[in-house]
Amino acid sequence: MAEFIQQVVTGLGDGAIYASLALALVLIYRATHVINFAQGEMGMVSTYIAWALITNHGWSYWPAFVFTLGISFLGGFAIHETVIRPLHRAGELTVVMATIALLVILNGLVSWIWQPDEKILVSPLSGGTWSVGDIAIPQQSVYDLIIVLVCVAVLWLLFRFTKLGLALRASAVDPSASRLLGVRVPWMLSIGWGFAAILSAVAGMLAASAQFIFTPGFMQVTIIYAFAAAILGGLESPVGAVIGGLTLGVTINLLGTYFPGQISPDLRLPAALALLLLVLVFRPSGLLGRTAVRRV
Amino acid sequence: MKRRLGLLAAALAVGATVCVTALAGAQVNGVTKTKFVIGGTFPLSGPAAYYAPIPVGMKVYFTYINTRRDKKTHKRGVDGRQIVWKYYDDGYNPANTAQQTRKLVEEDKVFATMGALGTEPQQAVVDYMNDRKVPQMLVSTGATEFGARYRERPETMGWQPDYFAEGRIYGKYAAANWPTKKIAVLYQNDDYGKNYLEGLKAGLGAKSTNIVREVGFGATDASVASQVVAARQSQAEVVAIFGTPSPTIKVYATMKALNYKPEQVILNSVSANDYVMGLALANSNAATLDGSISTAYLLNSNDPKYANNAFVKLYKAQMAKWAPNADPKNTFYYYGFAKAYDVVKLLQATGKNPTRAKLLKAARHMNWTNPGTLPGIKVTTSATDPFPISQVKIIKYDGNAKIWTEQGSLINGRGGT
Amino acid sequence: MITRKFLVGLAATLVAAAVIVVLPLFLSDTHEYRFAFVATFFIAALGLQILTGYSGLISLGQSGFMLIGAYTTTILSVDHGWNDLLTIPIAGLLAGIAGFLFGFPALRLRGAYLALATFAIPIAVIALAKKFSDFTGGGGGKNLTRVLTGHEAYVTTWPIAGVMFVLAWLLLLGKLGRSFRTIRESEIAAVSSGVNLTVTKTLAFGISAFFAGVAGSLYAIVIGFVNPDTFSINLSLLLLIGVVVGGLGSLVGVVFGALFIEYVPLYAPDILSWVEKPFGAPLDPQRAGAGAAVYGFTLLLVLFVAPYGIAGLVGKANKSLQRRAYNPNRT
Repeated sequence: MAEFIQQVVTGLGDGAIYASLALALVLIYRATHVINFAQGEMGMVSTYIAWALITNHGWSYWPAFVFTLGISFLGGFAIHETVIRPLHRAGELTVVMATIALLVILNGLVSWIWQPDEKILVSPLSGGTWSVGDIAIPQQSVYDLIIVLVCVAVLWLLFRFTKLGLALRASAVDPSASRLLGVRVPWMLSIGWGFAAILSAVAGMLAASAQFIFTPGFMQVTIIYAFAAAILGGLESPVGAVIGGLTLGVTINLLGTYFPGQISPDLRLPAALALLLLVLVFRPSGLLGRTAVRRV
Repeated sequence: MKRRLGLLAAALAVGATVCVTALAGAQVNGVTKTKFVIGGTFPLSGPAAYYAPIPVGMKVYFTYINTRRDKKTHKRGVDGRQIVWKYYDDGYNPANTAQQTRKLVEEDKVFATMGALGTEPQQAVVDYMNDRKVPQMLVSTGATEFGARYRERPETMGWQPDYFAEGRIYGKYAAANWPTKKIAVLYQNDDYGKNYLEGLKAGLGAKSTNIVREVGFGATDASVASQVVAARQSQAEVVAIFGTPSPTIKVYATMKALNYKPEQVILNSVSANDYVMGLALANSNAATLDGSISTAYLLNSNDPKYANNAFVKLYKAQMAKWAPNADPKNTFYYYGFAKAYDVVKLLQATGKNPTRAKLLKAARHMNWTNPGTLPGIKVTTSATDPFPISQVKIIKYDGNAKIWTEQGSLINGRGGT
Repeated sequence: MITRKFLVGLAATLVAAAVIVVLPLFLSDTHEYRFAFVATFFIAALGLQILTGYSGLISLGQSGFMLIGAYTTTILSVDHGWNDLLTIPIAGLLAGIAGFLFGFPALRLRGAYLALATFAIPIAVIALAKKFSDFTGGGGGKNLTRVLTGHEAYVTTWPIAGVMFVLAWLLLLGKLGRSFRTIRESEIAAVSSGVNLTVTKTLAFGISAFFAGVAGSLYAIVIGFVNPDTFSINLSLLLLIGVVVGGLGSLVGVVFGALFIEYVPLYAPDILSWVEKPFGAPLDPQRAGAGAAVYGFTLLLVLFVAPYGIAGLVGKANKSLQRRAYNPNRT
């Protein structure tokens, strides 16, 4: 029993990271109906910026954290303005290709500028451990979980109660009608990308601390889990993304623990993906996704 | 149309074969009166890009050799021949290695590849190199097969102690020092980690039953928490970590996060350097790392004990001169620099009129001291023993002084099974 | 059936075939070897073109089916003494069956959900190839039976690529090709015009995987070595890049896509050193990441210059030529 609870606890900690990146994917998908393959790398770049501020320029953690979020917003905004929007008319697949190009560029640039060796970003939240009987609860996992839940809550409040949120939603749902009503749709979509960049920056910085070290490739593993979490929850639902991420984190840990003979570590992810495929067969739009209305 | 295409292709095949045959067999590739052209493939991008410093370390040593005057011959380079060092990125992908290696052999016409990196990538070109009779020397991997299959693949040779032999040393050490303690093994779930695991069991012999839990992890896994929990739950007193640097750091940090402190930790040598431990330390604490044991064959260029060592001084000076932006504390530079010493020794051993046959002969008769290795280690090979470095020392990590220190005397970890 | 478009296509194909036949006269052995990779990318991307370009089903699973083909050839030729060339059809068939079977769970998925579900394919087959190491040789990989010279690789791969191209062409000319295009435009319209969705979609997956299997088999033969990690999702992404750069819905365009994914990464550091010389900037082309960054920028540039792929550029040129020819106001 103790091992079960311990595995669930560590699984939730892992899942919080997947959830935060999945949130960013969902935001982009809602805004522009694009799967952003570069989402993880955008978070990676943000993490390196924070790292450079702290390590090379002597900033302390929280100012660097907040400043990085600001830079990330501008970066996401700029990417939509300069790359995604001009290509949008060429079709969905061309835009997806552009995100793949961005993935390659960002990864290359970061290795080029900062070298590909391991770096560390120690968060002030990490380090401590609470013990409950035989079970160790790393404080960082708990904080990560709280931060992710706060992100969802803020997003919900933003979309539900602010004028900006309404404009953002309207632009995503019905661009032409929104334009008629005076919403600056492209601007709104760029803002959506900016918010997604903030979320991926949060994901990157949390992951960098939770995974203890990072290299330019560190988000490429995380994004696979985030993709899975996002479709499990339903690509359009932020709450679904969080549920998806946490479920995935716990499931993977439990699969590895209770089927160690059949499910060796490198089979844990495929096994989880097989379960995911099974879920999709019964619910093609994920757990919380609405079934899309099909055009005739 | 298809038939015509085939016919034409056949005609062209004959034509091109004639051309190729006519071109072959002139002078020795890669050697002129003024230079040696050698090369290798390395991961400069992708998940293994942290090895990228190795060819740079080699380059620095070659540049040093090319610019200094030899004390005896008063010539620069290798007896007057400049070393031209060509290396390409393969991203640790065998498909790229195959193409880049052909570029080295067929376009750059290298004399030999030296220190090319990676078990699978080098495995992918082993038949090609042996077919073309181009030496594939001192490959940068400790996989046993690069030495063990020397009869079928005479052009191919490794350099460092092989992983299996190293694992066996830990097994013997554990059986002798902790005969009753339970052991949990956290290993990288690929040939590299399994090579170590098999070696450990071979060394433990009858004591293999002491292993109470074996858990694998992936080299790029985001989290190793589940595996560390399993080791903790097994109540093992000894934990063996067989992994590359990234997951190793994660294991230590997770141990700290879960308040888990086994009595003894064994760590494989690839990850046992101050650089990796420094990163692990930043994520955990001295107590978690203190007392970990491993093995070493290179001397520790960061150890104050070797601050006045001539080779370490040379390393630091040349790095500052030819790679001023690189961090010489990163031990992968040092690995490349020390390996390049043996490359130069091999080239020197080919004499006045170097040929590939002479290089192979020299490679089977290595017998010298590499000043980059631990004092006392001899680099030796023979016709039936193609493992250049096979002596190691047990080292122990001092978490407070943040340094690996040597324990006891040299151990013979002869390669092969 | 003989339309103007058909004739243009035929002419382009004949020119391309002629170039491919004559090319070895001008290429070094090393470049012929690289062209063998172009051929294998070409075959795999043809399959993806049928699935993505014609049927509108995005897949990130192509590299997984290549793995199945590669290992079929390796195991049959190394462990069972088969002639490696004879294993190619079997490699294609096995991969095709796997693709066909994957088509069933994929039936209910659309758009982004389908794309993201297909990335499970390479992850799953790579893990399985590592797991059953007694059969496959595990993560460490396996050497094949022979080493090809660059020229041998060229003359082995390109005739097969030619056959596969003709096969793809014939397939798409017929009724099946029309069904593919109808489901791309509208599934409901397809159903109402009598297209069987289940059969058409699973067949699209099966056929595209068959191409991938043949390509994977040749990939193994050309490299002379297989290991599971070679067939990672990155290879799938590479093939998708090939299809888009070549031009969606154009079979001939795939050649350019295949050339792009083989040659641009290889020469990315050289591109950088050309830039470096005139500007005298210390860009250090061999520094980690430099090549990747240049490669990414090149891809982005191509997307901007030719958003409909290289075939789209040619098509555009054709259109403007036509417009000029029929412009009544021309002076």
